[in-house]
Amino acid sequence: MSHHFSLRHAGIIFRKECLDAFRDRRTLLMIILPALLIGPLFLMLIFNLIATHGEKAQSPELAVQGAAYAPALIDFLKKQQVRIKPLPDDYEAQIKHGLLDAALVIPEHFHDDVASGKKAEVQFIYDRSRDRAQTTIGQIERLLHVYNQQWGQTRLLLRGVAPEVAAPLSIRAINLATPQQSGALLLSLVAFYALFATLTGGMALALDTSAGERERQSLQPLLITPARPLEIVIGKWLTAGMVNMIVVLLTLIGFYLTLRFAPLPAVGLPFLFSMNELLRFCCVLLPLTLLLPALHFYVGIRGRSVREAQASTSILLLLFSLLPVMQMFMQQREPEWIVVVPIAGHYSMLSHALRGDVFSYADIFIAHAVPMLLLFLTLWACAQCLDRETRQP
Amino acid sequence: MIEINALYKHFGKQREIVAVNGIALTAPNAQITGLLGPNGAGKTTLLRMLSTALLPDSGSARIVGFDIVTQRADVRKNIGVLSDMRGLYPRLTAVENIMYFGALYGLTKKQSATRLAFLLETLEMTELAHRRTEGFSQGERMKVAIARALIHDPPVIMLDEPTNGLDVMSVRSLRAFLRLLRDQGKCIVFSSHVMSEVASLCDTIAIINHGRLVAQGTNKDFLDRTQAQSLEDAFFTILENDEFARGNA
Repeated sequence: MSHHFSLRHAGIIFRKECLDAFRDRRTLLMIILPALLIGPLFLMLIFNLIATHGEKAQSPELAVQGAAYAPALIDFLKKQQVRIKPLPDDYEAQIKHGLLDAALVIPEHFHDDVASGKKAEVQFIYDRSRDRAQTTIGQIERLLHVYNQQWGQTRLLLRGVAPEVAAPLSIRAINLATPQQSGALLLSLVAFYALFATLTGGMALALDTSAGERERQSLQPLLITPARPLEIVIGKWLTAGMVNMIVVLLTLIGFYLTLRFAPLPAVGLPFLFSMNELLRFCCVLLPLTLLLPALHFYVGIRGRSVREAQASTSILLLLFSLLPVMQMFMQQREPEWIVVVPIAGHYSMLSHALRGDVFSYADIFIAHAVPMLLLFLTLWACAQCLDRETRQP
Repeated sequence: MIEINALYKHFGKQREIVAVNGIALTAPNAQITGLLGPNGAGKTTLLRMLSTALLPDSGSARIVGFDIVTQRADVRKNIGVLSDMRGLYPRLTAVENIMYFGALYGLTKKQSATRLAFLLETLEMTELAHRRTEGFSQGERMKVAIARALIHDPPVIMLDEPTNGLDVMSVRSLRAFLRLLRDQGKCIVFSSHVMSEVASLCDTIAIINHGRLVAQGTNKDFLDRTQAQSLEDAFFTILENDEFARGNA
């Protein structure tokens, strides 16, 4: 057509669609509510996690008599997060009644025994029949064992003997149920939900302004106004994109407030979600926040009805949700080229941001350039589709 | 002014359905031209082509001198269309629906406000003005759609079955409105299958059957030619003759 692209038309359509969207309070609420809830939901998830791993995460408590006789041992225990407290007089009764998990008695002659090369004896008192004390007992037992080993090894070293001679077998225990591992799961969840928000935030609006417009039979009157297809597409995409941006931002702010200010006990989260991470998330998610509503819009225009369009987007949804999940379960390191693949690459970048890794400018460039290229293609395809609407045979 | 020169339109996979079969017609300014024909005659398809919502297979048409295929943007500025698809935005008020189109047609706020006041008054819809169109009756929706189509005061007006769903009162006021527009010099084309509607309103009547123009003239022309008492009788005589001719062909 002979006329140039008019920003004015796009602006008029944008304003009208905003008004229209704002009037549809119920839908708006359904879009915004999940974004507001995801943060607190996360909090609950984390608390749940603490309930499961609570005992293991808590530092064990040990009542000690004669701590002054073996300061090195006590130091070692303290460094291993053991809380040392003085031994009460009725400790045996307390242990039997489950008021005290375990006790350690260091005799007065401990130091002398060590100095004279004898075996130094300590008494470790506990009640095996107490379920709740099991973890503490196990932990202290293990720590004492480790201390014993280390001490012996030092002695061997001083005599010029390699420690391996005395301990040929090396056991390294890896407990998969540690808070660190659960923290890693949480990490992937934060990244995933942030990503998911970019997919769902603008969806309803993009479909309503495309397939919905057709279904209400108001598309044709609009198409024969002086507004050109590309102007119509831009105006409508801007609306969906803006709503998407708001939803994504609310989701991120929800994470930020929850993970930062909520009174979370130390569960060993291996990441932070501070203002810095929030900004980096925004940076990574921005191109997707703009691209995905355009894709929804395209699906909406191609669909004959909202229902048909929704069915098509559910495939997009499925693909989307599978990608990061697959990555989550993938054991080996992700390949370098993943950064080029939209969504999968962004997911990987979000995880890196949470771990505090530094982005290279090249990574940021690719994370923006590929979706932006797709965005231009999609918008152009949408305009073609609308144009064909009045040109089809 | 609309000049139609042998427009053709086919539908279907093998283009086996002929919707418009070489219609040539001229609708002058300051006249109301009625397209009369049975269901499926091709009236709507013809109007959709003229309103640039559909491309013709062949043939051409000019609207105020602009070609409907090569100068679509210019055509669009000069027409006001109430097509068969006349959906409104249910969450917007009547006025918001109308003003949206005013803005798209490039009217200033002041221009559209003046024009809006005129349309609300003439179409007797002042009370509807600031209600959302969600719960509107068919007639009320029709009024909004007409006002929306005419907000930019176009020289050429095309209305596809504009009286559908209107009550007697509304039909009367619409008729008066169309006469007013005609007296302002507008070129008005409207399709209908209601005989009385066409008979009482149209300066020229074009009878369309099977995608072809079978007769054109005034109400009086038809009555004289067929010796019928009413347009309805004349219409049937003409259609019967047409079917007979087609059967022979």
